[in-house]
Amino acid sequence: MDIQIKDLSHRFGEKSVFEHFDLTLQDGGLYGLTAPSGRGKTTLLRILMGLLSHDAGTISQGVRYSAVFQTDRLLPGRCAVDQLLFVRGSKKDRAEAARFLAGLLPENSLEQSVGELSGGMQRRVAIARALWAESDCLLMDEPFTGLDEATLRQTLDFILAKRQGRTLLLSTHQKELLTDYPFEWLRI
Amino acid sequence: MKPATSPRHFLQGLLVTLFWLGVWQAVSMLVAKPVLFASPLDTIRALWVMLPTSAYWSAVLGSLGRIALGFFLALALGLLLGVAAFRFSLLRTLISPLLTMMKTVPVASFIILVLVWFGSSSLAVIVALLIVFPQIYFATLSGLESTDQELLELARVYRVPRRRVAWRLYRPALWPYLTGSCASALGMSWKAGIAAEVIGNPAHSIGEQMYLSKIYMATAELFAWTLTVILLSTVFERTVLWLLRRVGK
Repeated sequence: MDIQIKDLSHRFGEKSVFEHFDLTLQDGGLYGLTAPSGRGKTTLLRILMGLLSHDAGTISQGVRYSAVFQTDRLLPGRCAVDQLLFVRGSKKDRAEAARFLAGLLPENSLEQSVGELSGGMQRRVAIARALWAESDCLLMDEPFTGLDEATLRQTLDFILAKRQGRTLLLSTHQKELLTDYPFEWLRI
Repeated sequence: MKPATSPRHFLQGLLVTLFWLGVWQAVSMLVAKPVLFASPLDTIRALWVMLPTSAYWSAVLGSLGRIALGFFLALALGLLLGVAAFRFSLLRTLISPLLTMMKTVPVASFIILVLVWFGSSSLAVIVALLIVFPQIYFATLSGLESTDQELLELARVYRVPRRRVAWRLYRPALWPYLTGSCASALGMSWKAGIAAEVIGNPAHSIGEQMYLSKIYMATAELFAWTLTVILLSTVFERTVLWLLRRVGK
């Protein structure tokens, strides 16, 4: 389903972040969101997820989101596989979740506590979790933070392979590294 | 970190125990009046005489049963009301003055009031409950409030089922608070429970036996009962904390 934002307005105190803002994300579309810091990229994603109430305007309802936040938000003391099973599945899906993760992480790291993984590996666990979850739309807030260029490309290829036709809205400061991917770029 | 059961740790523990036994022996020799201050040897001898008697075990089991019942009732009630108060702020506001009062009322006041209202048979149960309950309640509230808000947001976005959120997010946040609170509450429940028994004198209780030891000036027996309480309290505390840690894993 398409996601429509109509006439969105939002303020933080005296500061207006959105004023009569319109946006349509077509079902299955691939969108990149770029803007200078503080212009409302994260705010827009949080409003879409329902984590922030907006002052005015309408947003499509009934959309199931999965998200990569600016911070990884991983369950402390749990392994990478457990992070996936937290959002979907049960013990019997463990092997499937491990196979899924193996596309992005070394196999010997999958049962390690996430605290023992590097920052880049933790980031990839958070990305894999978003793709593993059942959803209609993937929202990713600066997903490539802490990844070198080669890992970024490997991760992006994994995202595109596993998104299974779901809408993807990705905010980034690294647009120049993504020019050879078919993103439709949005500016706010 | 070295395991707690390493030979070095064991030796350290043994030396510390021997040191304090030595201090105890020295003080008893200095006082030199067994009726005022029993020596370690007199105490062990008194305990040795008491151990095979049915009166000893009946008192031990009676007190253990009552105090354990009071503690576990308080644990269940504190957890239940703590969770309910976390969920419903009106309930929290409503019971807050009562809980604050319970935390500050002297144990002796509780003991006398319970004795007047309910008699001596259930005294230790109710007193242990009243002492432990506020501690568990406040620990439950603090633990639940300490749950990582970012992870709760994540669970909301991913529509994670409530039961899983409770088990994976709230429980790990709650458990350190709960075990910490239980560690101090367990000791308190024994202190208050035995004090209540000494005042209320219920049948088949350590408190009654301690009271009788005092009346007959049997100081070595009084020390032996005190040693019994220390051992019971330590074993009870370690067992409960071990159980809690297992559930919290």
